[in-house]
Amino acid sequence: MTPLDYVWAGVLAVFQGPELFSLLGLPIPVTVVMILCGFLLGIAVGATPGLAGPIAMAISLPILISIFGFTPDALLPVMGFLIGIMKGATIGGAVPAILFNTPGTPDAYMTTLDGYPMTKKGQAKKALKVAHFASVTGDTFSDIVLILCAPFLAILVEAYLDLPEKTALLILSLSFIAAAVGGSPAKGLISTGLGLLAAYVGTGQDFYPRLSGGTDVLAQGFPLAAAILGVLIVGAVFHELALFWREKEGTRRAGPDEASSADQRLRVSDIRRLMPYISRSALVGTAIGALPGIGSTLAATLGYALGKRRHDRRKAEGDPGFGHGAPEGVAATEAANSSVSGANLIPVLSLGIPGNTAAVFLILAAESIGGFNPGPSVFNFTVDVVNPEAVIAFGLFTCMILANLMNWTIGGLFMRAMGVMTRVPKQILLPVVLILTLTAIYVQETNMAAVWFTLAFGLLGYGMRVLAISPLPFVIAFILGPKIEDSARQAFAATGGDAFFLLTSPVAALFMALSVLVITLSTRRKKGAT
Amino acid sequence: MTSVFKTALAALALAATATASLAQDWAPPGPIQLMIAFRAGGGADTQARLIAEELQNRHGWEVIPENVTGRGGLNMANELRGAANDGTVIGIAVTETLGYNLAAAPDAAMSPADFTGLTTTAGFQMGIVARTDRGWGSFEEMIAAAQGGETIRFGAMSPRLADLAYLLSNAQGVDFNIVEVQGGRAVMDGVNAGDLDVGFMAGIQRAGVAAGDLVNLASGLDVPLVQSPDAPVLPDLGVPFHAGGEFVFLAPAGLDPAAREAIAMAIAEIVQDEGNPAGEMISRAFGGSTVILGDDLTAHLQAQYDQAGELLAAASE
Amino acid sequence: MHQTRKTHLILGVVVVAFAVFLMGVWIPLDTTTGVVETVRRQTVIGDSLAPMVAGVFLLIGGALVLLFERGSPDQPQVDMINLKFVGLVAATLAFGFLIMRYAGPLTVWATNMLSGGALEYRLLRDTAPWKYIGFFLGGVFAITGVISLTEGRLSARALGIGVAAILVMIALYDLPFDDLLLPPNGDV
Repeated sequence: MTPLDYVWAGVLAVFQGPELFSLLGLPIPVTVVMILCGFLLGIAVGATPGLAGPIAMAISLPILISIFGFTPDALLPVMGFLIGIMKGATIGGAVPAILFNTPGTPDAYMTTLDGYPMTKKGQAKKALKVAHFASVTGDTFSDIVLILCAPFLAILVEAYLDLPEKTALLILSLSFIAAAVGGSPAKGLISTGLGLLAAYVGTGQDFYPRLSGGTDVLAQGFPLAAAILGVLIVGAVFHELALFWREKEGTRRAGPDEASSADQRLRVSDIRRLMPYISRSALVGTAIGALPGIGSTLAATLGYALGKRRHDRRKAEGDPGFGHGAPEGVAATEAANSSVSGANLIPVLSLGIPGNTAAVFLILAAESIGGFNPGPSVFNFTVDVVNPEAVIAFGLFTCMILANLMNWTIGGLFMRAMGVMTRVPKQILLPVVLILTLTAIYVQETNMAAVWFTLAFGLLGYGMRVLAISPLPFVIAFILGPKIEDSARQAFAATGGDAFFLLTSPVAALFMALSVLVITLSTRRKKGAT
Repeated sequence: MTSVFKTALAALALAATATASLAQDWAPPGPIQLMIAFRAGGGADTQARLIAEELQNRHGWEVIPENVTGRGGLNMANELRGAANDGTVIGIAVTETLGYNLAAAPDAAMSPADFTGLTTTAGFQMGIVARTDRGWGSFEEMIAAAQGGETIRFGAMSPRLADLAYLLSNAQGVDFNIVEVQGGRAVMDGVNAGDLDVGFMAGIQRAGVAAGDLVNLASGLDVPLVQSPDAPVLPDLGVPFHAGGEFVFLAPAGLDPAAREAIAMAIAEIVQDEGNPAGEMISRAFGGSTVILGDDLTAHLQAQYDQAGELLAAASE
Repeated sequence: MHQTRKTHLILGVVVVAFAVFLMGVWIPLDTTTGVVETVRRQTVIGDSLAPMVAGVFLLIGGALVLLFERGSPDQPQVDMINLKFVGLVAATLAFGFLIMRYAGPLTVWATNMLSGGALEYRLLRDTAPWKYIGFFLGGVFAITGVISLTEGRLSARALGIGVAAILVMIALYDLPFDDLLLPPNGDV
């Protein structure tokens, strides 16, 4: 099979997969339906303050796996659903930010700055339309970059990097994540160290499960789902609950002032005016997204700042400035934070390195179902034997394009209908979500110990949030830890026990030097800033 | 394997007449938990889940699969050993788990006597495999390359196979850089990516060899490979051991003979019948079923355990 | 800023102390192979190396906090009242899980005492209504408890939501799927 055949096989895998039902004689493939369901669910949870994409992914994963089973056929419907959630949540997050000045997802914070003032001026609908248009444009651009880049990057890695270089590359990504995420590199290192340590409990090559204290409970190590969902989701719910309890409904939300006298239409002239902002932000977001670990929050901040600079120079007399309800501000932010999501999958699919929570969940799904190991070997275009992983990868790309099409066509409509979700009271929603998540973990692991571990990791995640330590490096280190160890072991053995195996090849040495540089530089910068 | 199989069938026929009525009456007192010692999604896991489904279809037994992975199956064995022995908890692993891995892990304090063997399902067509474009047409050419000073990276997915690779290098008077990887799939990925030069593959190489991308340089067994009958076998290469093994269903020790018979027969019938998804998959992925049952299986497991001691001693010299 | 907070000082000291304990005591005592090993005349990486690397990350991280961020003005404030609240929430959840785990077997035991039967929960774990007892009681307790804690009062509404949510979860996970087991039925 040629690479083009693989692309076509991926498309067919989505459309010719098992059909769910047929409509007027037309078979409706199950993957397409799953993308749509995920997308709608994503918009709803994105629009609900306190919920976000990851929670929806966490709860649906075990249900999806039990529907579709542990076969390679399950990969596309399940991962398509997750991709749908990811895309939906991105646009959904803007809804409460614009209508109620409360960001539905963390990256939507910057959207409040101009979105809410627009609502107060009676332009709520227009603000939502601008946000949707900018978001979809950025997202689509980012996906195109992903689809064009990931296979080539993977082929390059596989062709030119040997075991030592692959090890060094993993170390570089981890250092980068430790240094870049969460503001302080020192805390990033702590978070990374804890994640690595958790990953190494009970594993190892010897028949004695290391660091288990000889107990059977720890001998199998911590389940992936318990560590990830505990730190990311249970920790976040604890944090939200504590915040809510402290504020105790002190801030009763007022309804949006829907004085719809203003012009709510998004005209071609508007689009022409917004496009420069959107395209800049899309570039920024895509570039940032391609680096593992840097989230959409930074992209939104940068996109907003860039847009503000341009706007200050060019705005016509009488137009609102940034922060006072400028549609350009909404567009610049939403395009930037949405264009992170596609590019964020570049390191996952080409290197097996997850860069954000959505990627973490795709890996969790792939690991739970099996038969698809994100990494450079995915894009091995074998000629005589079909490489099923390459077909799945192109199937995933097809899912993303489909989700984008849905976003363009019906996304805006659903998004504007989701205003009601913001009225769901947190103190009721969060406890239910908590038990739902823990039940989901139990159903998947069928082990009470997994639930206790999740609770413990939840407390750890809460503690990290209290101390302003980002939990993302923890999660990524937990996923990458075993990979780094395996890869280092293999590289060391393959080079015949060369103690300097990470430094003897120029490429590996370069990666190692960059790792040190990244950490030192960020420490310096932090020191200079304080 | 076939001879073992025939004696097993004969033994079974004898045993069957004695306990047939008992075994036929047996039904599990509750849902059966099936512990799978393999990661989700691989061929081994798929096989186990398909068998579980077919058991449910044929006998109405409720079988609940669960992956208990890690430490070469010892984690599963450890959990299985302490479970109820009324036929409601069974497990699937490879014979290597109760053989080499138990022998190599004295801390685990387990022996084959802690388990009741139910049945094997399929054996491994273990080959020593390289990429065709690596340029070696035969095992001797690889050894010649090693003697010429080339570094050979030899992939192995378990300590036992690493030991065998080591004995092989000793017998041939060369050095291999033996690389232990996690799982059979990783050996093939490594060889395909050029990270490894050669490695043990337990049947996963079938399609690649058929297509001409991969080549079986030698058989890892003491008998020739079905697919490459001309490749030399391990004893001919100076290693008095073999890398063979089977997937095996296990239960805790002290399982009621009627339950043992009923469950083992139910599974054996499924894997030998290619007309159901499980049997079809086994024939496609592993080249057909290998069924060893009853006392033969008990003896087989014990023999693997005893032989592992000799291998460990030989490899630690 | 007025008086500098001590959060970072404490964090740094705790992390460094833990890293030293990890590398000096825990890893050497609880791992059977060293940093490198000689197996089959080949030097290979042992099981201690990777945890040591984790320890080094913690050590450097902790040291950097102590060196550069000890006096930084933007230190997070640790609010003891908040911690207590989260502790209570976690305790409520933990108690809910204990109910989940043991309510079913206890009911079976009580039934046996009353009727003189010899039922065994393990064999009934996929039979209604036994299989729902633990999940229902434990789940309702946990949800109602956490809502009440957050709202600061017990209410019939919280109980109603707990019951409704658990019923929905049973409908979601258990009814459509034969092979899914609700807590605690997978490992009793």
